[in-house]
Amino acid sequence: MTRSDELLGRAKGGATVEFRQVSKHYARSANGQPIAAVRDLSLVVQPGEICVLVGPSGCGKTTSLKMVNRLIEPTSGQILIDGVDVMTVDPVALRRRIGYVIQQVGLFPHRTIAENIATVPELVGWPKAKIRARVDELIALVGLDPASYRDRYPSQLSGGERQRIGVARAMAIEPPLMLMDEPFGAVDPIVRERLQNEFLDLQRRLGLTVLFVTHDIDEAIKLGTRVAVFEQGGTIAQYSPPAELLMRPATDYVARFVGSDRALKRLAVMRLADLRLSPVSSAGEGPVFSAETNVRDALAALLLAPRAAGTVVDSSGVPIGVVTMETIASAVQPVAASLE
Amino acid sequence: MTIQGEPLVRFDWIGNNLGLIGERLWEHIFLTVLAVGLGLAISFGLSLAIRWNGRLYLPITSIAGVLYTIPSLALFALLVPFTGLSILTAEIGLVSYTLLILTRNIVGGLEGVPADAREAAIGMGYTARQLLLRVELPLALPVIIAGVRVATVTTIGLVTVTALIGQGGLGQFILQGIQRFFYTPLVVGAVLSIALAIAADALLVGLQRAVAPWTAVKR
Repeated sequence: MTRSDELLGRAKGGATVEFRQVSKHYARSANGQPIAAVRDLSLVVQPGEICVLVGPSGCGKTTSLKMVNRLIEPTSGQILIDGVDVMTVDPVALRRRIGYVIQQVGLFPHRTIAENIATVPELVGWPKAKIRARVDELIALVGLDPASYRDRYPSQLSGGERQRIGVARAMAIEPPLMLMDEPFGAVDPIVRERLQNEFLDLQRRLGLTVLFVTHDIDEAIKLGTRVAVFEQGGTIAQYSPPAELLMRPATDYVARFVGSDRALKRLAVMRLADLRLSPVSSAGEGPVFSAETNVRDALAALLLAPRAAGTVVDSSGVPIGVVTMETIASAVQPVAASLE
Repeated sequence: MTIQGEPLVRFDWIGNNLGLIGERLWEHIFLTVLAVGLGLAISFGLSLAIRWNGRLYLPITSIAGVLYTIPSLALFALLVPFTGLSILTAEIGLVSYTLLILTRNIVGGLEGVPADAREAAIGMGYTARQLLLRVELPLALPVIIAGVRVATVTTIGLVTVTALIGQGGLGQFILQGIQRFFYTPLVVGAVLSIALAIAADALLVGLQRAVAPWTAVKR
């Protein structure tokens, strides 16, 4: 068993990724001074988490991502996957075990959808029958019909469909780690939102560890288990769960980056079930919400409701409480934060 | 110019020389295929060198460009003292003329491979060799074959000139016709040479479609 088989080979569910004081310098030609793309980056991603790297362009987030599968090599520091330094593993073997999705998708135009998805399984030598079954399974997994898609060429697909196939291809051998660089950046907002939801659902079911790069703070907050906010110069300004990022931005830079509407964004990542609801009154109040509804949507509905109150029901339709404007306000104000 | 009483084409001559015509036609095809084949192999090597170091592009294409501009008659005349009236002389000239077109198209075809497909391929764990053979070359193939078409049609025309150094395939009929003021072989040589060029081009167009089914799909 080679080193690369050990790494990521037997992992069930997601991998752990650790950056230890990772820096990447590029020599500047003008005066020979090195410029840092990434500076002293340290962070840990636990199995099954989505770690979102977010920041303005040129802040080193993509460089950080590409150092994980050695498309770029760090100048100093270590990147460990399940405790193994990636620099000790053959890069080709390493990359075959890590899913990789880029914004432009990079489907091979000369191969059918089935052949595209089969790329890594073929590289690692799966038997043909197993590949065929897996390809159909993956096409269905990303919400398309295998029979009508497997023999098409990428040029015959819409942008959203290509993105789905890109994700399917990256998941072909069920890698315990996926690297995604703005994977939903090239599609329109409606398709993007649907792809995000489906991806979240898939990721949770499979327990994948994901490193996800975006410049869109809303996407970061929606998808991230933890969000690393990068600033110019390749340093991390804050690495926190999205709720904390919104409630307690560590610096002015982070506060400006998450936006003045951060209270609303925070509501969007909370479910009604997370709130301290008022007891159910005898008179059924206003609109009815599922406990899984996000608080932002509930607030929008309450603003239009006659009495600014609504009933929250559980999955079987039994009322579990009443939500009011006050309930929501107390959830986003700092006093309530200690409950987290 | 026409000689009184001499028809443009004497079919009895054609009928009496069918065997020879077939022989010359095959010779013509052989000289062409050999020249384009060798040219392709050399150009492929040159293109890999250019890919390995992009700074080689200018010197290589400049030299190939200079070769391309030398009048064919002069080139064969220059070579004869060294390599004689041989097939080698003919092929050196013919191959030289294919290099510019083929090298430019191979390099251009490889450069035309979408950057995202290349990045995805490397990111998924293709080795450099697999990247070239499984992604870059298949995608570059339509452009490369387009170069082969031009090189083939040009070479078929040029082969006739090599009749002057004792090769020439169908060119020998043309030369014979000019020397003897006898039009029939001249017409036979010219017409067959043109027909061969058209047929070769059509064949390569077919090949171009066959190797790139993805370019023909309806969107």
